[in-house]
Amino acid sequence: MPNFRILRSGGAFLLVLGTLLPSPVVAQQHDQHADHDMHMGHDMDHETELEGGWLMPPMDPNMPMMPGLEGAVPPVSAWLPHFDLDPEDFPRAEPSRAVRLADGDTLDLLVSPVRRTILGQEYLMYGYNNQYPGPFIQAERGSTVMVRVRNEIRFPTTVHWHGIRLDYRFDGVPGLTQPPIEPGEVFTYEVKVPDAGMFWYHPHVREDIQQDLGLYGNLVVLPEEPADGAPYHREELLALDDLLMTEGGQLIPYGLESPVNALMGRYGTVMLVNGVADHELDVQRGEVVRFHLTNVANARPFNVRFGEMDVKLVGSDIGPFERESWVGSVPISPAERYAVDVQFPEAGRVAITNTIQAVDHFRGVFYPHVDTLAIVNVRAEGVEPDLSELHSTLHVNEHVVQEIDPFREHFDREPDHEITTMVRVRDLPQAIVLSMEADTFYVPPVEWNDAMPMMNWLSSGNQVTWILEDEATGGRNEEIHWTFQQGDVVKIRVFNQPQDFHPMQHPIHIHGQRFLVVSRDGVPQENLAWKDTALLPVGSTMDLLVEMSNPGEWMIHCHIAEHLSAGMHFHFTVEPAAAEADTP
Amino acid sequence: MWTLLALLALGPAEERPAIAPVDLDATVFATCSAVAEPPAYYAISLVPTRQVVGTGRATGLAQMTFDRSPFGVELAADGSYRTTLAVEVAHLPSIDDHEFVAWATTPSIDRIARIGTLDEDGATTGPVEWNKFLVVITLEPVGYSEETSWSGPVILRGMSRSGRMHTMAGHGPFEQLECRTFGY
Repeated sequence: MPNFRILRSGGAFLLVLGTLLPSPVVAQQHDQHADHDMHMGHDMDHETELEGGWLMPPMDPNMPMMPGLEGAVPPVSAWLPHFDLDPEDFPRAEPSRAVRLADGDTLDLLVSPVRRTILGQEYLMYGYNNQYPGPFIQAERGSTVMVRVRNEIRFPTTVHWHGIRLDYRFDGVPGLTQPPIEPGEVFTYEVKVPDAGMFWYHPHVREDIQQDLGLYGNLVVLPEEPADGAPYHREELLALDDLLMTEGGQLIPYGLESPVNALMGRYGTVMLVNGVADHELDVQRGEVVRFHLTNVANARPFNVRFGEMDVKLVGSDIGPFERESWVGSVPISPAERYAVDVQFPEAGRVAITNTIQAVDHFRGVFYPHVDTLAIVNVRAEGVEPDLSELHSTLHVNEHVVQEIDPFREHFDREPDHEITTMVRVRDLPQAIVLSMEADTFYVPPVEWNDAMPMMNWLSSGNQVTWILEDEATGGRNEEIHWTFQQGDVVKIRVFNQPQDFHPMQHPIHIHGQRFLVVSRDGVPQENLAWKDTALLPVGSTMDLLVEMSNPGEWMIHCHIAEHLSAGMHFHFTVEPAAAEADTP
Repeated sequence: MWTLLALLALGPAEERPAIAPVDLDATVFATCSAVAEPPAYYAISLVPTRQVVGTGRATGLAQMTFDRSPFGVELAADGSYRTTLAVEVAHLPSIDDHEFVAWATTPSIDRIARIGTLDEDGATTGPVEWNKFLVVITLEPVGYSEETSWSGPVILRGMSRSGRMHTMAGHGPFEQLECRTFGY
């Protein structure tokens, strides 16, 4: 991942592209259950291929095999890229490179198989322009850049420009805004970027496969003027991901006709940052680094800690918070972004970790679990200038406060629409259905780990339907269709129904617009940032105030890739304001 | 002694708004109102222990909401949920020189944290950082300021939803396994 630096200099920002240094390989991955001293031991062989080429996902060794499921495999075809292709025919992928695009520039984006090396083993995966993550695109606010996408993978694909309020025809939703880009075809996106912020791009066709295999990248939109807030020395991207592998390092196949892991989504066993499992970076003592976190995982929420330090939370999906604040960790669900400033005052090594209270449903207990995501090597040499004093100050972003002010009158009013999330299942193996009796004694607000990987793995999108239900009409998923006028301010209440077969948290994403999370469970939120994706824990209710500013056809969905494939989406129309509608 | 004290102190109990115990298994949907409710799923129904005369009619509810957070959930340093517990109890008698105090404690009662003294409406609010815990309301002398343990009798008690979590052994497909093997 190339370093990009937005340095404040005399009130201006200078963009400096850092050089890429290879990171030393260190064994820093924690086993999924390394901190979980409850191993009874079972004799399941997870490295031997099962019927149809399937491999069983790793399970907690204390978990006995579920009676009736011995040798069971998901009811869809197993698939991995190397089942069809010879890896030797494809190039080795390289780390992401930055590409700066001026207004009107065109970027060619190739979608193709690539070879990747993770923890010393080679895999055939996917990449944008043979890079992992995809190219780091940089554009200036207000510009329009062209991205010419050529599809050379076996599946149809699209590119969704996540969080960007662009022309809906280039939003990348197959069947709604464009036909899918078939293998061998080309589609050119016109990406107009009206908001400054850290965005990302990914496919909107079978994300559970394509995104998981490496099709994702960041796109930063740079403001014309320096943003408010404290200065920092440099910026770093952290794309958080995970891959599901056996303990021997074999990728668990994907479901070809329909996703597997449809109950919970695909939780990986190997944590990746910027596409590698051993990410390290060097900083100088005292350096203030602005980290831009993007959760690109299919399903896993992370709780990111930087050593034992409190960090300064400065921004989220579409720009800064009203006020900077100190936080002990950054819980981030799939597709969300957060920006934090971190100062490293002491020389040494600082671990960036995923620190969670995992659940062991078989034992019925919580247990602490820590994954090391990355290592920061802090050199003894001090940095200049010293930003300690400025870093220790919390700033108010007046321009964000003022931008939100006109919307405050809507915060307390009745919701315009109410949605309830739920799940329905059919034809699941009886053993799974029976086990839910115990599994649902308690459902945590957020599932930080996959406590029942076998049960999850055996559930496909053919058996599980995740649902968004309109409370007013009873319509579900694509039965729902809302129409708004450009300029409407709409309050949407979303309730995560906990009394269900297997309720789960949902990262709710709204395409093409921006919103504020104005309250959660009836408690007003006090420090706001514009969002495009928000985490909805089990049992919770959140009120989203959506500025319907961007005309077109747009989608609302859960950003757990397997939930999306299992039906959890619908679309809405924003009709253009009269003046715009009249414009030829 | 507590029974005697309560008997001596008992006058006509002040009638307070009734709070029905929550049926945790009932399906609860958000209602169409300007203010959404705390998650009923995680609400803790408080039941009287009847250890002190005059408290048997008491009913209570402890509602859990996440502490205000930019993230949707608030977590402690170890990743535990950091929640605010809003306790409301009705039908408690007035007992001279005594007050009711709400506490949270781990299931093994090895750690105890004071949530707060119930106000004249029977309500108090405080933070909890544990995943599994019990809520107890005790009767304490006025001014009892201890933060880590109660001294009086338990008047009401309840268990967090997470306390229901149980081993799968003995249930469903694992019916042949004994749950006591797993500490239950």
